[in-house]
Amino acid sequence: MTGTGDAPAATTNLTGSMDPSLDELRASAAAAVAAADSLDVLTAVETEVVGRESAIARARRGLGSLPAEARAEAGRTINEAAVAIQAMIDERRALLDAAAEERQLAAEAIDVTLDYRAIPTGGLHLIQQVIDEVSDIFIGLGYHVAEGPEAELAWYNFDALNTPPDHPGRLESDTMYLDYGKPEDEMLLRAHTSPIQARYMEAHDPPVYIVAPGRAYRNDTIDATHLPVFFQIEGLAVDENITFSDLKGTLAEFARQYFGPKTTVRMRPHYFPFTEPSAELDVSCFNCDGGSLSCRVCKGSGWLEMLGCGMVDPNVFEAVGYDPETVTGFAFGMGVERLAQVRHGVDNMRIFIENDLRFLQQFPG
Amino acid sequence: MRVSLQWLRDYIDLPTTEVDELTRAFDYLGHAVESVEEITADWTDVVVGKVERIEAHPDADKVRVTHVDLGDGELHQIICGAWNFAEGAIVPVAVPGSVLAGGFEIGRRNIRGVESHGMICSERELGLGELHEGIMVLDPGTPLGLPFAGVARLPDIVFDLEVTNNRPDVMGMVGVARELAAWFGIDYRIPPVGVGPTADGPASISISISAPDGCNRFVAREIRGVTIGESPLWLRERLRRSGVRAISNVVDVTNYVMLELGHPLHAFDAERIAGGRLDVRWAAAGEVLTTLDGSERALTPEDLVIVDDEGPTSLAAVMGGARSEVAADTSHVLMEAASWHPATVMHTSRRHDLRSEASARFERGVDPNLAPLANARACDLLVEISGGTIGAETVDVIANSFEPLVVTLEASEVRRILDERFTAERSSELLGRLGLDVHTTGDVLTVTVPTNRPDLTRPADLIEEIARLSDYDTFGETLPTGQAGGLTDGQRRTRRVHEALRGMGLFQAMNLPFVSQEELDAFTEGGADRVVTVRNPLREDQGKLRQRLLPALLRNVRDNLNRGAGSVALFESGRVFYSEPWSEDSRVPAQPERLAVVVAGPFGARSFEQDAQPANGATALAVVQAISRVVGRPLQRVPEAHPGLHPGRSATVMVDGKAVGIAGELHPAAAAQFDIDTRVGVLEIDLEPVIAPAPPAQMQPVPTYPHVDFDLSFDVPPGVLARDLLEATTAAGTLVESANLFDEYRPEASARRSLAVRYRLRAEDRTLDSDEIAGERERMIAAAAGLGASLRGAGGEEDS
Repeated sequence: MTGTGDAPAATTNLTGSMDPSLDELRASAAAAVAAADSLDVLTAVETEVVGRESAIARARRGLGSLPAEARAEAGRTINEAAVAIQAMIDERRALLDAAAEERQLAAEAIDVTLDYRAIPTGGLHLIQQVIDEVSDIFIGLGYHVAEGPEAELAWYNFDALNTPPDHPGRLESDTMYLDYGKPEDEMLLRAHTSPIQARYMEAHDPPVYIVAPGRAYRNDTIDATHLPVFFQIEGLAVDENITFSDLKGTLAEFARQYFGPKTTVRMRPHYFPFTEPSAELDVSCFNCDGGSLSCRVCKGSGWLEMLGCGMVDPNVFEAVGYDPETVTGFAFGMGVERLAQVRHGVDNMRIFIENDLRFLQQFPG
Repeated sequence: MRVSLQWLRDYIDLPTTEVDELTRAFDYLGHAVESVEEITADWTDVVVGKVERIEAHPDADKVRVTHVDLGDGELHQIICGAWNFAEGAIVPVAVPGSVLAGGFEIGRRNIRGVESHGMICSERELGLGELHEGIMVLDPGTPLGLPFAGVARLPDIVFDLEVTNNRPDVMGMVGVARELAAWFGIDYRIPPVGVGPTADGPASISISISAPDGCNRFVAREIRGVTIGESPLWLRERLRRSGVRAISNVVDVTNYVMLELGHPLHAFDAERIAGGRLDVRWAAAGEVLTTLDGSERALTPEDLVIVDDEGPTSLAAVMGGARSEVAADTSHVLMEAASWHPATVMHTSRRHDLRSEASARFERGVDPNLAPLANARACDLLVEISGGTIGAETVDVIANSFEPLVVTLEASEVRRILDERFTAERSSELLGRLGLDVHTTGDVLTVTVPTNRPDLTRPADLIEEIARLSDYDTFGETLPTGQAGGLTDGQRRTRRVHEALRGMGLFQAMNLPFVSQEELDAFTEGGADRVVTVRNPLREDQGKLRQRLLPALLRNVRDNLNRGAGSVALFESGRVFYSEPWSEDSRVPAQPERLAVVVAGPFGARSFEQDAQPANGATALAVVQAISRVVGRPLQRVPEAHPGLHPGRSATVMVDGKAVGIAGELHPAAAAQFDIDTRVGVLEIDLEPVIAPAPPAQMQPVPTYPHVDFDLSFDVPPGVLARDLLEATTAAGTLVESANLFDEYRPEASARRSLAVRYRLRAEDRTLDSDEIAGERERMIAAAAGLGASLRGAGGEEDS
């Protein structure tokens, strides 16, 4: 559009003096290109200044009428002008292209804080997450993961684990029994994961390094601190020179990996029928490092009671056919709910079995 | 076990009274401190006074005017409304300016024209008990003017210890002192006995044990001339701090000695023992006994009773009978200290719901040789506080004798279990601290264990004692090395399935495995069989073990929808139970692992433009496909109606030709049963065949020649499945790389339907030409025709 007025002048000049008219042509084309403020305008300018009907094209077609000796020079000059003009157009087009793209992108801007689209993800139950994590820690220490039946023979749940015949744990007020099978093979819902130990040792020769996560059952009414069905993770190491210090070191390593590298542990004597010596393991409070009397996690004691453990009682080895003279071992058992509660601030055990999405969605791991 | 520090110090001179240090000692002895209670005087300025004179109030008849000597030589006039004392009574007096519990300040008051300079206090006013009927009357001879806090032995600290089941010996103050003595390496004392006044003459009550399988020993002694009354303050205070209510001096003495020595006792009114003889025997069925709490109890042959000529008069070890109970007029007491079989006590106390301090001790196993000492101590104490004389003869009937046990221990064994530090000398020293007699020869320790430690019978038991007394903090931390671990293939696949389901937007649920019969029947044709029943369920309507995971998950769906969730997508994995032998161990019931999924409401990706598709049976079928891909094993879906599922949207899931579960949509009737008013996609499959090891997937060459896509739309008769059509057409061609059914049009359920399939053809070694493609199409159309399906029209050919 801007170039249309200049073109006839260029044409006029071309017939007379070649060089000045081309210079003018280039100048007017440059002005037209520079003035093109859109790709459409630029395309029109391009048609006008280098198109088939442009002064340049006509000049090229007019070369034949020039004297032979002048043709080469005139052709070169025309070409130079054409190339220069085309370069101006290309440069301008690139600029306009970039600007157009910029406008387009600006127009497409979205609010990145808005969920225009959603790809849903679910989550493993917090209890499962803890089981997997604890299992992984022990796998790193060279352990296998063992499993076993939940409907279990009383023999594996009690007798094989050196539980006295009159232990109160055997009472129906504590343990859930099943109506199944022969009366002499009393059947129950395992009261702990420890029967997996006995079964594993029966089926495998030492050395044994296992953890065994699973459900355990007790005849407890549901409240904030009790569930009739809960999860434990059992651990067992049997080898030729396992000592009490190995037990302490193993659980200290576990505690550091689960609660954090600064965690320390202490053991206090306790009583379990299947270990001797037995201990309760406390871990230093990860929340206050033992430094706060008002700590909500440890209630100011600096320690968190975490699990029961001990050296495998020789009677247990004998029950499963191991020779207590040649092997020693340790065992431990921890409550998964407790591990989850302590670390994640879950104050009511009921929530673990309610399967309320408002709880489950808080742990999308 | 509540331990008053004041009381404990009767038996041991502790090197420290710091709460932290004692708490650590108890914790590291294995008697965990559950709480520490500081017992302090809730008052100031209460002193001991003597009521010298009592006068009537001139203008009030409910109170009296007393004149009290506070040890300062003066008589203080105090008005008192209690009538339970006379002139000469020693009483606690709050003087003007003192502050009682709750900030109650005592001043000089004028009561109807008479000045009162303070207050004589009741138990309750001093926070020492509940008695408020009268004021406290203190022991005669309590020095006047003394601060009452000192008389009441305040302040005090009470440690509440968790004593483990294997330690009957720690269930008394002396036993606690013995433990601390071992910990600190010092001595402890037992109270002297045989110090009370005795009278001549033989015992008037004879004793026999007819049930030696329930009773080891029965020690009895008579006390005559007892005056029943209130126990002195010091004794009542000790009982109170131990959590035991004071009743009367005789009962209080039995409780006191139980708390002191750990041996429960029982006192009979000897005059009420019919026929002058007692026997221990098993009860006969149908016998009844009214216990001293007034309950009439039906006895069984598992109950051990003490009988006289009129039948049962005491539920042995658990509770005395009303008939021979010590009463206000009792003066002739038979003090019993007997040794019972722990199991008998455990069963009887639970059967009759009579768990007590006494049963807690007998269940653990009280030292049978402690009975004579406990009996002698109780007799001495009783005559000390209630008067009377002790019979010369102690009746001691022994049905079973218990001797100290000799255990041999090699120090090398200690080192093998604990660590290298434990020489014979060190081990011997630690065991000696417990009062065990140890003889060391080289590396061998010969240890004599007294009968108060029934938990020490084997070398392992002694090793535990050595570890305990050496302080668990002194053990190092080492790690076993050299072992290799890891997950099994099946465990890895299970985790992968979990992760995949999580990635699809499902949350994992964990339900209790207890269900009702109705729930079991919901998904079983003709009702569930092979049901495993819990003998002692928490609730009768939850007395069966689940055979499906779905019912509980559907309850979760309902609950979450009711809580306002717009959609619910859950999975659960866990065991189900059948009353038939398990393939993995025929001795126990079958309990395979299952995996179940429920999906209700919009499920999947969503955008502003388009919400997620509402879940239905097809969603569940898609989850089956997804699992199939994750485990690298085909899971076929075969149409088959299942109970609880929509009959037209119900499939059997098969692996290698075997049914492994069901998938589809919840039947509207079943949904209604669960109060769910939306479609629910459901799936439940056995996990084991799904995660079973599969051969490693093999790489197929990535194609180098171009493919050709084209669509065919078939008109398919009823009864021909999509899978049939795809298999037939694919098999007919030689160049089919994939066939994807992408549309279904069905005007009505029973009519022919239209199925649209996109086929992709490719040759491994050349670019296909149009003749080949045409030939392939013809063969596929012909194969479809073999199923009764006709071509509706072909989509445009499309080159890559």
